[in-house]
Amino acid sequence: MTIGSSHLPEERCADQRLYLLLDGDEASPEFQQAAAHVESCAACRDRLTELSGDHDHWQTQRELLTPIADDQPDTGQFYRYRSTETIFAQRRSIDETMVKQMLTAPSHPEMLGRLGRYEVERIIGVGGMGIVLKGFDTELNRPVAIKLLAPHLSRIGAARQRFAREARAAAAVVHEHVVSIHNVESNHANPFLVMQYIPGESLQARVDRGGPLSVSEILRIGVQSASGLAAAHAQGLVHRDVKPANILLENDVDRAYLTDFGLARASDDASLTYTGIVSGTPHYMSPEQADGRALDQRSDLFSLGSVLYFMATGHPPFRAERPMAVLKRTCHDPHRPAWESNAEIPDELSDIIDRLLEKQPERRFATALELQKKLERVLSDLQQGKLRLSRRGKSNRTWWIAAIGLCETALLAGVGYVWMTSAPKQEPPTPIAMPPASTQSVESIQARLQSLEGPQQADLDRLQYELITLEVTPFPEADLKEPTNAQE
Amino acid sequence: MEAWDAFVEIYEPLLFRLARSKGFQQADAEDFVQEVLTAVAKAVGRWVETEDRGTFRAWLFRIAQNLAINFMTRPKHQRLGSGDSQIAGLLAQHPDPHGESTQLFSLEYRRELFRWAAEQVRLKVSERQWRLFWMTSIDNQPIAQVAAEFGLSVGSVYIARSRITKRIRETIQTLEEQAR
Ligand SMILES: [Zn+2]
Repeated sequence: MTIGSSHLPEERCADQRLYLLLDGDEASPEFQQAAAHVESCAACRDRLTELSGDHDHWQTQRELLTPIADDQPDTGQFYRYRSTETIFAQRRSIDETMVKQMLTAPSHPEMLGRLGRYEVERIIGVGGMGIVLKGFDTELNRPVAIKLLAPHLSRIGAARQRFAREARAAAAVVHEHVVSIHNVESNHANPFLVMQYIPGESLQARVDRGGPLSVSEILRIGVQSASGLAAAHAQGLVHRDVKPANILLENDVDRAYLTDFGLARASDDASLTYTGIVSGTPHYMSPEQADGRALDQRSDLFSLGSVLYFMATGHPPFRAERPMAVLKRTCHDPHRPAWESNAEIPDELSDIIDRLLEKQPERRFATALELQKKLERVLSDLQQGKLRLSRRGKSNRTWWIAAIGLCETALLAGVGYVWMTSAPKQEPPTPIAMPPASTQSVESIQARLQSLEGPQQADLDRLQYELITLEVTPFPEADLKEPTNAQE
Repeated sequence: MEAWDAFVEIYEPLLFRLARSKGFQQADAEDFVQEVLTAVAKAVGRWVETEDRGTFRAWLFRIAQNLAINFMTRPKHQRLGSGDSQIAGLLAQHPDPHGESTQLFSLEYRRELFRWAAEQVRLKVSERQWRLFWMTSIDNQPIAQVAAEFGLSVGSVYIARSRITKRIRETIQTLEEQAR
């Protein structure tokens, strides 16, 4: 490093003072002095430029930062492709910082923080309304899931009320296939509700990971979901957001749970029946819901039909690039029957799905209980070997009835559609068929690490060390991965 | 700095751009990005087995580079393949340093490196400082003119653009040292 080069005669032109301008504190008196000098000394201005980077650097910098193809030249924003996994990983670190601010200091360093009597372990998911945390109830010694109202909503009275109402409605449903609400803290600065913690994954995650399910699994999950739904309906509730991400599958036991009555409302709550705003995931919405018109429990049956369809084929019945187009298709297009996509699906199941996906509510089953009975019968037939595979390839396609006149009004009237692009809770327009690469990466790295032994232990330690010193978890953890979160 | 994060932040846009320049549609290019990153992750064990292995960071960048160049010299629709033997082959294979693909790769790599570094630095400076830097260093507008436009002295524009340039250069340097 040349300090005080020959072409800089004056002492006050020393490089040291210029380095101060490059790295120093702009508020310091030394900085101000040096800045004042540079104002009147052209040689120092050139030297300053040179010290910050040589001629090659400045030139390369200009060439490579100059906007090309997809860049936005006006704002100087580059187009830099990022996969959803990367975006979610970045979001997660922001979310963690935010959540920590709402918690008190943890009792154990490996915990995120504390919320009353609950130790918070980690973030399970983040949605439009709130944040779901995995926690531990220190009084009752059990793991819990905590749903925390998002901080920006906690200050809004209406949001607090809605949160409390959601919690009350959901707490009223006690059923073996509905996630229980243990506790509601609505007076806390950040209101939260405490739920039963289900170790496992969502139906969305299961299908994304392993593709369509077997017929017996579809029927079993269908029966259990229908029974949970029947319990909610018996309380006068419409779930309104039945979708694969809201059905949790517990590890090691064959049990499904319906969760997240995030949009559920008491059906006699007239002020909320017609809001003119459609919110939620479009892929599992009923036509009447897409339409923004009054709806009843049969709307949930349509959604559950879409879920059965999803289990059978690996994708929802109506797909399109944009949410509005999904809704239009839901209202106007016939679906392709499940047996056409998956030859393993017996006629009996395919017919049930068709009936649930009827555009007009009165053509569907009347109640969730009726659906449950129907599915149970098919399951029992299957177990007794009485079912046959679909042989319908050539027969008359009487599987759809076009909806005429339905759905027109609201779509034309421009129903406000809340497409929460900023909320990772939303499913992407088309489901991801294979697990995201970074999930595979974690697993494969772990597998690699485990398969190493003997003389390579030193290498293993070194690799492990390097991974640890990355400071941030090198890959998003599978269970934090959006959009297929459990218990969101 | 987090090696894997930085790696992904640079390689995702890089691989995507390379694939697009090869005529891939958006969705295919996205698949390709995932494919290469998955292959890299799957090959982690190889790093352990390599004789002269250097650091994990350096290895990450090298294997991804080989994979990407190898991909570009292949027929369009051939899959990369991430089996162990293929990975071994790709690692053993040294791309022609003067080949067209290598040249394109290093240009696009440099581009993403600069852009990544610029993004890092931009987060840490004020929007006004960034504008001063951008207008005088990238858009090539006369410094005196920009200074007048912002109501600032010429010296302060020099200082702002030099501070940012130095930080961009150092950010790149730090990464390259770790990836060497
Ligand atoms: Zn001077």
